[in-house]
Amino acid sequence: MDIDLSSNDLAFQQEVREFLAANAYKNGADYAEWRLNWFKLAREKGGWDVSKWPEAFGGPGWSPTQHYIWEQETAVAQTPWDLPFGLSMLAPVLMNHGNEEQQNRFLPDIRDRKVNWCQGYSEPNAGSDLANLKTKAVLSEDGSYYTVTGTKIWTTLAHIADWIFCLTRTSDAGIKQQGITFLLIPMKQAGIEVKPIITLGGSHTVNMVHLTDVKVPVENRVGEEGKGWGYAKGLLAHERTGLAGISKSLAALQNLRKQASQVKRGNSTLLDDPSYRAKLAELEIDLMATEFTELRSLASAANGAEPGPESSILKLKGTEIQQRIQKLTVEAGGIYSAAWGPMPVGHLFARGGMSGYLSSRAYTIYGGASEVQRDVIAKNVLGIKKSQSK
Amino acid sequence: MNFDISSEQNILQDSVDRFVQDHYELDKRQLLVLTEQGFSNDNWQTMAELGWLGVSVPEAHGGFGGNEIDTMILMQAFGKGLVLEPFFASTVLGAKAIADGGSEDLKTKMLPGVVDGSRQLTFAYAEAQSRFDLNDIVTRAQRDGDDYVINGHKSMVLHAASAHQIVVSTRTSGGQAEQAGISLFLIDADAAGVEITSFPTVDGQQAAEIKLEGVKVPSSRLLGALDQGYELLNSVATAGILALAAEAVGAMEILYKDTVAYTQEREQFDHALSDFQVLQHRMVDMFMEYEQCKSLLYRATLEVVQNSTGAQRSVHALKYYVGKMGTFIGENAVQLHGGMGTTEELRVGHYFKRLLVIDAQFGNSDHHLALFAA
Ligand SMILES: Cc1cc2nc3c(=O)[nH]c(=O)nc-3n(C[C@H](O)[C@H](O)[C@H](O)COP(=O)(O)OP(=O)(O)OC[C@H]3O[C@@H](n4cnc5c(N)ncnc54)[C@H](O)[C@@H]3O)c2cc1C
Ligand SMILES: Cc1cc2nc3c(=O)[nH]c(=O)nc-3n(C[C@H](O)[C@H](O)[C@H](O)COP(=O)(O)OP(=O)(O)OC[C@H]3O[C@@H](n4cnc5c(N)ncnc54)[C@H](O)[C@@H]3O)c2cc1C
Repeated sequence: MDIDLSSNDLAFQQEVREFLAANAYKNGADYAEWRLNWFKLAREKGGWDVSKWPEAFGGPGWSPTQHYIWEQETAVAQTPWDLPFGLSMLAPVLMNHGNEEQQNRFLPDIRDRKVNWCQGYSEPNAGSDLANLKTKAVLSEDGSYYTVTGTKIWTTLAHIADWIFCLTRTSDAGIKQQGITFLLIPMKQAGIEVKPIITLGGSHTVNMVHLTDVKVPVENRVGEEGKGWGYAKGLLAHERTGLAGISKSLAALQNLRKQASQVKRGNSTLLDDPSYRAKLAELEIDLMATEFTELRSLASAANGAEPGPESSILKLKGTEIQQRIQKLTVEAGGIYSAAWGPMPVGHLFARGGMSGYLSSRAYTIYGGASEVQRDVIAKNVLGIKKSQSK
Repeated sequence: MNFDISSEQNILQDSVDRFVQDHYELDKRQLLVLTEQGFSNDNWQTMAELGWLGVSVPEAHGGFGGNEIDTMILMQAFGKGLVLEPFFASTVLGAKAIADGGSEDLKTKMLPGVVDGSRQLTFAYAEAQSRFDLNDIVTRAQRDGDDYVINGHKSMVLHAASAHQIVVSTRTSGGQAEQAGISLFLIDADAAGVEITSFPTVDGQQAAEIKLEGVKVPSSRLLGALDQGYELLNSVATAGILALAAEAVGAMEILYKDTVAYTQEREQFDHALSDFQVLQHRMVDMFMEYEQCKSLLYRATLEVVQNSTGAQRSVHALKYYVGKMGTFIGENAVQLHGGMGTTEELRVGHYFKRLLVIDAQFGNSDHHLALFAA
């Protein structure tokens, strides 16, 4: 056992820091231009623009420790916004199950951040029970296209997406998990209607997507017909570990301390308040444990082992920690956290606090609700089998 | 011992329940939220006609002469509907400050208008540096002949834009956080030097920042004794806490009941969600904490009404518990509704937001736990 970074890792850390510092956004610069240029420069470093992609597809081929260093450093540096849907969710599916033609067609635009994707899995009656999905895809007689009809819901950023990757039902035979087919569908066409859903944070990020007789060429099917569930499940595992956000939470906790030190209470600050301090400390202890749980999981992956049981803990602990940080931000804002709308009132940070907290309530719902996630651990990790009632 | 309400209070409860049922469906409420004023004048008039706006105003001044139990009945029902009209700011806070601290003249002049709805009041106590300490005040009132001149800044004042008069806590002597040296004044919202900047709050209500620059107020507008205003300030805050806690209990009732109903309707994995034991137990916990909040509400309210020695501690206990459990019940109501719970479309999110704001008003749960432990 050894927790020190090797000299190579330290050198890497230094290199990452230098890159991030040299390419930070400078006030007044054109943001969109800076963003695309940032990815270009990161690419020139050797695949840093697609850090999680395998080497064979242009990724950097980092060790788990290097990935960890990258996460840590980018969590505290200013990096351009990025969306996970194409880059981290669809791309691995295409790499593992797409054909070469599809890989060549879709991966470069994802890499160049040219095309925005959204994830069309959930439906009104297929949430936690995703396999219950009903959106129908019927293959034409000549086998050249599918006709897709159904409703997707909670589709994040469907209103700005160019494409949607969809789970559709091509057969009702067998168990629900069978007969699901993975299709890629352009968004901007007749037959697709996107309706906004406004969430508690007051924002429009999720949508209802109606598909009516949408024709999808068979070339846009990923893998085999009826095998989509297996592809999607692998993707969900990816999504879950990506949702833990430990490095981001460590940075957010630091930031929260700074904010609390700006909240006056008589002659002291909120950071001197014993109960608030205790809550920050509890949070920090949880994060310390979770950080090492993540490292243990990374280390076992580095040794080529299957992700150990510790990895299943990460999504649960990670999202609950994120929510607690948001809650403490609201508490730090005090009365000002209640202010809403564009006018600045009170502490600057109080403004985003409430909407951040409200949005964070979804973290324990999407990507596998916490209760369902615990079911998965009980079954797959603890090995609990349902007994027959006698 | 008897926890039953009187037959008069039963009638009050029936009429306020009916009002909420008739006027506070979510769609109707959300339309009101979008108006500039943020509430309905018709509803306000109805409340006046039913005598609610004077519920705690002495009979001598046209009111109903009720106590905190009557207010509790109204606020609990308002919590079930997320009622928007400024009853809390005007009657619970403003009218109480005048009724308990104003001269006979001032009461005669001000209170009848509150009762008939033509006069609306609010209460400005918070400041940027005060966080939740009522006694931390830097807004100053200085004597100038027969008047006082007020300079300072008040924060998060409920419904200030539609108020006619504002009760303001000021420092007339002493250091920033001393209890001595505080005086309350009733100023006109349209007086020279009063600058009101309003904004919505996350729960769909209206609040404002208020700048006070050389605002002149005659000494006849002093509420309570000069420099001795803390006691009045605290008793208005106590009335406020009891009322907010009652509203919170009403909101919690909707949240746990909606969750029980929704999980029985919603099916996943070929089961109603309510079949899952982990959800059943969570809902049982939500229900238990709602009942516990209600118990502390009754306890604190009765102790305040009877002026018992432990009343202040019970009020701290109540505000602590309601803040903590309001968050617990709200978060779980959203969680158990899944994606639907995170939308503006279902009502649970709106009740949750109201509970979050209630926690931040008149001291959050940490603040009251510390005061309780002290
Ligand atoms: C902000 C947001 C963004 C999203 N983005 C996307 C997206 O881009 N693409 C996409 O396809 N989907 C997306 N989703 C959908 C998300 O994956 C679903 O909300 C999630 O799967 C839960 O489904 P549901 O909302 O139907 O809740 P339900 O399945 O109805 O569950 C409601 C609640 O019941 C409980 N529960 C459910 N099943 C069980 C069980 N077996 N045992 C115990 N308790 C249980 C949980 O507490 C759960 O929260 C998003 C959701 C949100 C809120
Ligand atoms: C100190 C002591 C004194 C006692 N005195 C007496 C006595 O005087 N007379 C007498 O008759 N008995 C007595 N008991 C027995 C007591 O009533 C039983 O222990 C109790 O009914 C639980 O039964 P069990 O121990 O068989 O646990 P089990 O029934 O095997 O349950 C074990 C645990 O499983 C969980 N569990 C069980 N059922 C469910 C369910 N449906 N859903 C979710 N979780 C569940 C609970 O956490 C429970 O603690 C005593 C027990 C103790 C410990």
